[in-house]
Amino acid sequence: MDSSDKTEHFVQQLTEHQNRLYGYVFSLLGDRNRAADVVQETNLVLWRKIDEFQPDKPFLSWAFAIARFQVLAHVRDQKRDRLLLDSELVATLSDEAQRQAGQVDAIREALRPCMQLLTPTNRELIERRYFRNMSMADTAASVERTVGSIKVALLRIRRQLAACVQKRLAAEDS
Amino acid sequence: MSTEFDELESLLIDWESGSLDEQGVARIREILKPNAEARSHFVQMQMITAAMQLETDAGLAPPLSEMSGSRSRQTLAELTPNCQSLATSATSEQTRRVFSTSFWLVSALSLLVCVLAGWIVYSQFPDHSDGLVKVAGTGDLSARDASREATSHGIALVTHLVDVEWGVDQPALEVGDALPPGRFAIQAGHAQVEFFCGATVIVEGPAELELESATLARVHSGRLRAHVPPAARGFALEVDDMTVVDLGTEFGLSVSTDGANVQVFDGEVELHRPSNEKRRLSAGQSVIRSADGSYRDSQVTPETFVDIAGLESRAEMQRSARYERWKAWSDATRRDPRLIAYYAFDQAGDWERRLACSNEPTNKELDGAIVGAREVEGRWDAKRALEFKRPADRVRVQIPGEYSSLTLACWVKIDSLDRWYNSLLLTDGYDKGEPHWQILDTGQIYFSVRPVERTQQGPRDFKALSPSFWQPSMNGKWLHLAVTCDMDARTITHYTNGNVLSRHIVPDEQMPSATRIGAASIGNWATPTMPDAEFAIRNLNGSIDEMAIFAAALTADEIKEIYDHGKP
Repeated sequence: MDSSDKTEHFVQQLTEHQNRLYGYVFSLLGDRNRAADVVQETNLVLWRKIDEFQPDKPFLSWAFAIARFQVLAHVRDQKRDRLLLDSELVATLSDEAQRQAGQVDAIREALRPCMQLLTPTNRELIERRYFRNMSMADTAASVERTVGSIKVALLRIRRQLAACVQKRLAAEDS
Repeated sequence: MSTEFDELESLLIDWESGSLDEQGVARIREILKPNAEARSHFVQMQMITAAMQLETDAGLAPPLSEMSGSRSRQTLAELTPNCQSLATSATSEQTRRVFSTSFWLVSALSLLVCVLAGWIVYSQFPDHSDGLVKVAGTGDLSARDASREATSHGIALVTHLVDVEWGVDQPALEVGDALPPGRFAIQAGHAQVEFFCGATVIVEGPAELELESATLARVHSGRLRAHVPPAARGFALEVDDMTVVDLGTEFGLSVSTDGANVQVFDGEVELHRPSNEKRRLSAGQSVIRSADGSYRDSQVTPETFVDIAGLESRAEMQRSARYERWKAWSDATRRDPRLIAYYAFDQAGDWERRLACSNEPTNKELDGAIVGAREVEGRWDAKRALEFKRPADRVRVQIPGEYSSLTLACWVKIDSLDRWYNSLLLTDGYDKGEPHWQILDTGQIYFSVRPVERTQQGPRDFKALSPSFWQPSMNGKWLHLAVTCDMDARTITHYTNGNVLSRHIVPDEQMPSATRIGAASIGNWATPTMPDAEFAIRNLNGSIDEMAIFAAALTADEIKEIYDHGKP
């Protein structure tokens, strides 16, 4: 494999696994912007280490190892800003997060039909809050409801979606 | 335990909204540290949140995993402009964020940056995606709501269409469509419209009407025959300033620029004029209202207005003409060398629980075994269909051989999409090269072929999931569905009623080297992997009339031809 083939293969792999990397990093940081930053840093480190890239070895485990290190580094450096998890929990959760992040595309696929089962009002809430990243307050204001009632609704809808997604994933495996 | 899960979920919502205090964060950590189940649950919730955030670009562009296959094969030159258009769609603030690490922009990295920037723009800034393409879910939502509204606002039903030509700005309607209030116009032919009040009107084109309510229509032009049973008494047609109110009868009305002619064939009608003057017309009477507003009597000519029986016989002639057209097409197609198996559902007499394969030369080995499914009327009286109503109903087939590209096509009447998976044609189990073709409860058509052996690790199968095509108004109508899987172009294309519904590019590694069918079911799925008596309910709640499998990816024109020659 010459170097341009290798680069192409690398880019293809990196592109293909972006969603999984994002799923992994987000689940540990719980913050959209930080997760996007850390995924970018991870991409950059992977690119710098392209010499270590072995096309015949699983790309994802290599990328996850780098991402894990980047998340830990981010947690270490963010002394002042509040974080969801401490480094001990990040380390404990890492394996589980990698396992589940491998499925993030299957979860997305399962989500689409599950979204269709929601009432139009509930679907709209999810779309505003998560797809369009509106704040709780804006979401609440846009549907003329209180933040408290939106929170209760989102909790219930998310539970419903989670149950539906799990069922679909299980049905697919059978 | 579950109360801790509930607490965790609630705390996470607060965290996401930025309203969680120090104690809250500490509480999350306290729940997670000693409890592996809680940690797994936590990751599950987070992964769904991440998946929802990634949904931002769903339907916009193919998901990244699908894009990578085609994109990475493009040249740098092709990718770069693509990237620029993405990057420029972000605001400067966002662009700054994306490119904040300026040393990325060294030339060797530009491609990588480009690809990644594209991804970041897509996934991070959903607001800019609104104008491009709607997210599949929301697109369907509006389409669905519109249809729901149209149905609930419907005031009449189209029950016959014979040789109808539609006007330029009138969308083509089908028999069984509900009509909302508004304009109804045909250029030529005859349409039978049943108002919800019970009145039946036969409209001869060219004609233009304004449907006002379930009991009232305004006629601008055309020739109509109204049949009004006692229950629908009071049904009225308006022409200019004249109103024809029916008192339970049958009458004709023809309207042109010269004026209007009302003829009563049976019973009585009342003419209301602006002068508040009413005039009763009874059977055998006819009145012409000239363009200048004057009235005069004339002769009744019932034979010039097509009646219900006459239209029924014309419709019957049209049906048999269409059947003959299908028959001629079908007879020719049986000899198509690309056919793997073709089930025309046209055997006469007792089927003996066999679904004969119609390929020529005949090959009885390809005959299907009917299990449970009931014979019902097909698209025409002259042929039949099979109804897969009960969970076990199916047709078993055994189709040997290895193939390259495939086309599957069938005529289907769906009663309801009430299963998660509503089967069209599925191979038993799901092994390398085997296609699965089904409809989700959401109305999305789902076609997939497994790229590697079931036991082998490797790329996941590519799921070609169409946007939702299903409308409640399609209930009980014959629809033509087709899917082509083109191995060379690595493209899967879904069709409904002869038109492309969606096209999907399959990444190289997800496309198997060959396809095969082997043991399979029509209208259901058999899972040999489950030895116990339990099975997932995946039968098609509806009927199938005709199923064709070709060892080639038919062109869009060929699919259109199948539809045009087969529509009832």
